[in-house]
Order: sequence, then C-alpha cells, then structure tokens
Amino acid sequence: MTWPALLEMQFMRHAFAAASCIAIAGSAIGYFVVLRRQAFAAHALSNVGFAGAAGASLLGIDPLLGLFGFVLASAVLMALAGENVGQRDISVGMILMFSLGLGILFVNLYSANADAAIGILFGSVLGISDEQLHMTLVTSLVVMALLILMFRPLRFASLNAPAARGRGLPVTALNLMFLLLLGATAAMAVPVIGSLLSFAIFIGPAAAAQAWTGRVASGLALTITLALLESWGGIAASYYINWPASSCIAMLSFAIYALGWLSSRRPRWRRSARRAHPVAS
Amino acid sequence: MAADGPAVTARAIAAGRGAQHAFGDLSFELPGASFTALAGPNGSGKTTLFETLLGLVRLDRGELDVFGQSPRRARTAVAYVPQAGRLLHDGQFIGREFVAAAWRARRWGISWHRKDAAQAVDHALTQVDGHALARRRLGELSGGQQQRLLVAQALVNQPRLLLMDEPLASLDPAAQEQIVALAAHLRDCLGMTVLFSTHDVNPVVDVADQVLYLAGGSGRLGTIAEIVNDEVLSALYGVPMHVVRERGRLFVMRDQAAGGSRCAAEMARDAGRCA
Repeated sequence: MTWPALLEMQFMRHAFAAASCIAIAGSAIGYFVVLRRQAFAAHALSNVGFAGAAGASLLGIDPLLGLFGFVLASAVLMALAGENVGQRDISVGMILMFSLGLGILFVNLYSANADAAIGILFGSVLGISDEQLHMTLVTSLVVMALLILMFRPLRFASLNAPAARGRGLPVTALNLMFLLLLGATAAMAVPVIGSLLSFAIFIGPAAAAQAWTGRVASGLALTITLALLESWGGIAASYYINWPASSCIAMLSFAIYALGWLSSRRPRWRRSARRAHPVAS
Repeated sequence: MAADGPAVTARAIAAGRGAQHAFGDLSFELPGASFTALAGPNGSGKTTLFETLLGLVRLDRGELDVFGQSPRRARTAVAYVPQAGRLLHDGQFIGREFVAAAWRARRWGISWHRKDAAQAVDHALTQVDGHALARRRLGELSGGQQQRLLVAQALVNQPRLLLMDEPLASLDPAAQEQIVALAAHLRDCLGMTVLFSTHDVNPVVDVADQVLYLAGGSGRLGTIAEIVNDEVLSALYGVPMHVVRERGRLFVMRDQAAGGSRCAAEMARDAGRCA
C-alpha cells in the first residue's frame, strides 16, 4: 500500500488517527462544556492529571493509571461542589490549585523520573505508540456511546435545569456523569496531545460552532467537523513548516473561533446601520 | 379535556427545609381547569410549595394528591416553568430548539421520531403564539418572549398542571398582560390547571379564579376579594395589615396606626439613648 508523502511514516499515521479520535469525542463533549458553561472545569481537568501521574511515578505505579484516577476523582469533587456557576468556578479553581501544588511536590520528591510526569502536560502527538492509539480509540468510543445514551436528558438539563429537575430528571447525577465523561476524555487526550491541546479541542470548535448555528444537531456536526479540520490542518502544517503541532492546532482553533465571533456580530452592525440611516437623512 | 376531580388536593400539609417549616397546616384544593394565583411575601414558602407539588421536597405532615396520585407519580402530568432569568446558558439557541429540548427528555438515547417531535413543538408554539420566535436566538429575545418560549417548552409534553414560578418578575406591564392572558388561554382552551406565583396580585385580578395567599407559615385560599382584605391578611401575617384600593388596584401594607407608630416610638427612644 502506498501512502501520500504526508502519511508515509507510521508516526504520522498514528498522529492522524489518534488526533481524529480525540477531535471527535473531545469536541462532542466540548459542545456541552460550552453550552453548560463549564469551560473552567474542562481547563482544570486537563491540568490536574499531572499530579496523578507524578504521584503514581512516586509510588511506582503506571503514571497513566494515576492520571486517570486523579482526573476522575477531581471530576467527582467538582460535581459535589454544586451547579451554581459562581460557587462552582471557585471550587474548580481551588481543586486546580491544590492538585498543581501536589504535582509539583511529587515531582520534587521523586526527581529521578520527573520527565515522564512533566511530559504528560505537553504530550507528543508525533510520538504515539500502538498501545496509546488503542487506548485512545477505545476510550473515545466509550465516551461517544455514553454521550449518545445521555443525550436527551443532558440536553434538557443543560438548557433548562430547573424545569428538568421539576420533570424528575436526575439533574445532579447528570452533572456528575457529564464531569466524569469530561474527565475520562481529558485523561485520554492529555498524554497524547497535552493539556493545552485538549483544552483547545474542548472549547474552540464548540464555541465557534455555537456562534454559527443555534441548532443542536447541526451545531454538534459543525463542532466535530471543525475539530477534525483543525487537528488535521494543525498536524499537516506542523509537518510542512516544522512548527510544533500543538501550536499550529491552537492557532487554527483560535482563528476559526475569531472568524465565528466576527461573523456572528456582523449582522447586528448592518441592522444598526440600516436603522441609523433614516435618522441621518 | 378538563379533569373530573380536583387537580390538587392538600390536606394540612407541612413542608420545608430544616426544623422550621416553610408552611405548616396548609389545606387547599385546585379544581381542574382553573387559574390560581399563588401570592405572598418572599420566604413565605411559594417555591417550597412548588417543589412539594413536583415531588422534590417531602412532606413533613399531611396529605397531598396531584390528580389522585402522589406528586412523584403524577410528575408526567405536571410541568414547572422557571423564571427566565434563572437559566444558565448564553441563549445561543434558537427558540425552536429550546422548546424541542424538553420533548420526551426523560428517555435515554437519541430520538428517531422527528416528525412526532416536530408536531409536538409546533403545537406548543401555536399555543403561546410563538412561531415568530422559533427561528430567533434566545439571547436576542425580550423577557416576555423568553417567558413565552419557557411556557411552550413546558407544554411540549402535554401536562395538565402548570406551575409558573414568578413569570411576571422583571417584565414590563405589556408583557405581563400577555403572560397572564396566555395562562388564561391555557386554562380556557386546553383545560389546564395553572398555579401562578406572583408578588403582586393586581395583574391577575381579572383572570384568576382564586388566590392562595401564603404568609406567616400558613396560607388561605379563596377569591381575591375574600382573601386580600384587612381581616384575613392581618390574621395571616399575625400583625395588623391594611389593604388600600386605589383606582381598581390593591395595595397591601402594614397598618400604619398599629405597626408604624410603634416602630417610630422605638426609633425615637433609641435615638434618645444615643444622645
């Protein structure tokens, strides 16, 4: 089988495959993150894994296990902190601060293999092993399956929590389940693409898509499409111009969001211009 | 369409968080196809009563039937309409999507019955005269328009009892009038039972069949004339109250002669102590 130049090397094929899985699952979760205004939780969950990985190295356990455990535990704590937006952000900030403090302590105590733990914060999309690829594929399939399963209750609870609670939906449990899914996605994505890029995938495409469309189905489809384009485009750009892939993806993600933001505002300028005209004349 | 028996029967119910009840020994009946205003000051238990009717708060005492069943069992027949300002999201969604989100939302998975959903949403939008709002984003709409979409969302599962939580709060008088007319339309045309909480009974005076007035940990049910008067409100609040009628409007205030002067006397005494 012959591959185009871009995909000739196995590490490039792995990069595209893993990035595609993460783009699909991460951006679909991210759609609800943006809708539910939990961007800060997404940011924190992308970063707390570092402490888990460092702690696991210290105890001689698989860092990946420590990362998953720590992220999921943080997700539970965030869910317990409640659903009130103001309070929620403060608790999330405290959890983030505490776990970064722990992470630095663990690295300090066990300096022999700190590189592995620190590497987790950055990930390396161009150095993905077969095992990592399988793990990514399985986790993203599970996340997508669960997200589809809870789609209708989650959509209602995200759009109108008080009415959903009145209808007997388990709004608190849904919030916990959603944060666990977000945590699992972050724990899957961070060792592969790093915490910066995970956050870029969670937030960027969904925020741009919500500026363009006010429908859930087309919004989700657009979110996933943008995420795939951004990650493929970023990796390809990195291959050709030799910049770090994460920088390329983050910049692309920002550019598309800026485009969405600008285009969603233009009609208002036009409207106000039209309204202003008769007054002027 | 109207139900045969009463929609809600409460016998000597007491509920509320903590040791102190929000209300104790409250009895009332909401007939089918009726409009009841739920009035009373802040903290008088209006929200707790809604939560009790939705089966979210347990009764400490008494019996409560909703369509002859326990509130938890009757849940599918009840819809709660929160205040528009209480929603979390940015309002990026168009009205139609917002209304559709409630359709059979208790079920898991993705719905494949798109036609049924579209029909239910169209029907709900027609009831609130909201087709013009269907394609606009929630964030662009006025408070009254958002409130109408909230009602449409509640209607999408065809409830028989509608609990409207302060739907007039922060609306201008014209929008208030529209929402009151909408609630009356739901009673008259769909045979729904509406419980409508409001700070001020004036906007609903002409439309409400009865008022349930909560105050001082208790409540009384009757027509507005029966309840909103000096005698009944003084008994409810436990202090002398005075109702003023001015150009067809009602104003409820503490009786100046009894409450006001005592307060002024205390203040004068305190002022003397300071000097």
